[in-house]
Amino acid sequence: MKKGFITLHVNGDAHEVLVSSQHTLLDVLRGKLKLMGTKEGCTTGSCGVCTVNNGRGEAVLSCLTPALEWADQSITTIEGLEKNGRLAPIQQAFVEYHAVQCGFCTPGVIMSAQAVLNLTPAPTEEDINDGLAGVICRCTGHIKVKEAIRHVGEFGPTP
Amino acid sequence: MLLPEHDFVKPATLAEGLAVLRDAPGDVRLLGGGTDVVFNMRCRLLTPDTLLSLKDLPELQGIAVLPDGSLQLGAACRLTDLVAATVLTERYPALVKAFRAVASRHVRNLATLGGNLCLDTRCWFTNQTKEWRDAKGPCLKTGKDVCHAIAGAPVCVALNNADSPPALIALEATVTLASSRGERRLGLQDFYREDGIRHTVLEPDEILTRVTIPPTTDRLVFLKETARQGMDFSYGAIAVRADGSGATASRLRIVLGSLTTAPRLLAGAAERLAVLGLGDDGLDAACATLRDELGPLTNLYSPAAYKRELARILLRKAVLELREMQA
Repeated sequence: MKKGFITLHVNGDAHEVLVSSQHTLLDVLRGKLKLMGTKEGCTTGSCGVCTVNNGRGEAVLSCLTPALEWADQSITTIEGLEKNGRLAPIQQAFVEYHAVQCGFCTPGVIMSAQAVLNLTPAPTEEDINDGLAGVICRCTGHIKVKEAIRHVGEFGPTP
Repeated sequence: MLLPEHDFVKPATLAEGLAVLRDAPGDVRLLGGGTDVVFNMRCRLLTPDTLLSLKDLPELQGIAVLPDGSLQLGAACRLTDLVAATVLTERYPALVKAFRAVASRHVRNLATLGGNLCLDTRCWFTNQTKEWRDAKGPCLKTGKDVCHAIAGAPVCVALNNADSPPALIALEATVTLASSRGERRLGLQDFYREDGIRHTVLEPDEILTRVTIPPTTDRLVFLKETARQGMDFSYGAIAVRADGSGATASRLRIVLGSLTTAPRLLAGAAERLAVLGLGDDGLDAACATLRDELGPLTNLYSPAAYKRELARILLRKAVLELREMQA
């Protein structure tokens, strides 16, 4: 198939989109669904800013996977974390710990952090390091990010 | 940038996939998780006419212990699933370490076992953007009779940077290759060729379907040296397997990865250690064989002298670690 309609379940909504074999999942999220939260960085799998969560809540690189592979699959992007106008605990923790500098990598970092918490609700230092190894912040560092993740791991959602 | 134009085919069964592979015109590429193939397509190193998605083929799934105790891994198993599999973490912790050494969790959540075994060879000149390569023109791998990385190299010397092959070869794993002509099974060490362009013996109509690891109670150590901790291709990797316990061993298997175009079995060093034991004498004797056994190395990615030294250090570290392990 060079081109075809597929159904993508993004953030709980089903979208029927016309996808070409030349599109990666990232191209479809940004170009077709206009979900611009997911960023395009290196497009070669090195930087991790395009990270989204798959149906099992794991972090995957949307730039390295053909969109046609995702027919009928569920995806969560950064736009899907907020519920009813309330930030997700991990987003709130990023705000409180100032785990953001320029913000470009933040969606990818948060989706990676969310994946860590999905897998290990109380992550160890090693779990956090392992989960963040594939995503790179060029401005600041991972200290504040790790503090934010640890906070959610220890205290759960901030009231 | 869009991927090169191609036909995307997702067969429902292995038989269907093999038929596509046999009948589809032009260049058909096998797609696992896509973390290597899609990357190379973006760099325009690969411009296949057809991409054949194998990830969801039922015949390529599953981790199973066979009646004879061997372990069978489907080629489409994701590295993440292998890292998490209890049967692996309990029986083969060093193998799990090798799977875990691959890139980052983000990549392992997509990447498959078959994909890691078939990972294309890499070279600092060729594995760049098309614009970069165009500046100097094609090389051996991209269609001309010249190597831009190592002047005068007669064959492509690109390195095999995959992390799992050394550990699997040390465990004497076999791979099963299916085609519409039938099935064949061969030792993983015979799967690789010393040619950066056609670096495996996989025929154009074949699909790697599964990996089988014979039962063993031997000790295994895996080490990988990288520039940074995590998310890096290795400078060098080693897997050493030994029977016995402590400093005694009578049968060893040593495999070096990432230093050459095909993972390298070091029979001489293994023999020295088997004869002299894992003590300091045996270790010194084994290290002394390395230079001859490795033969000429290229300066690709790191200088040959560095690679030789790294091989020695990896062997030393691995044997020291083995000594501490009881059967």
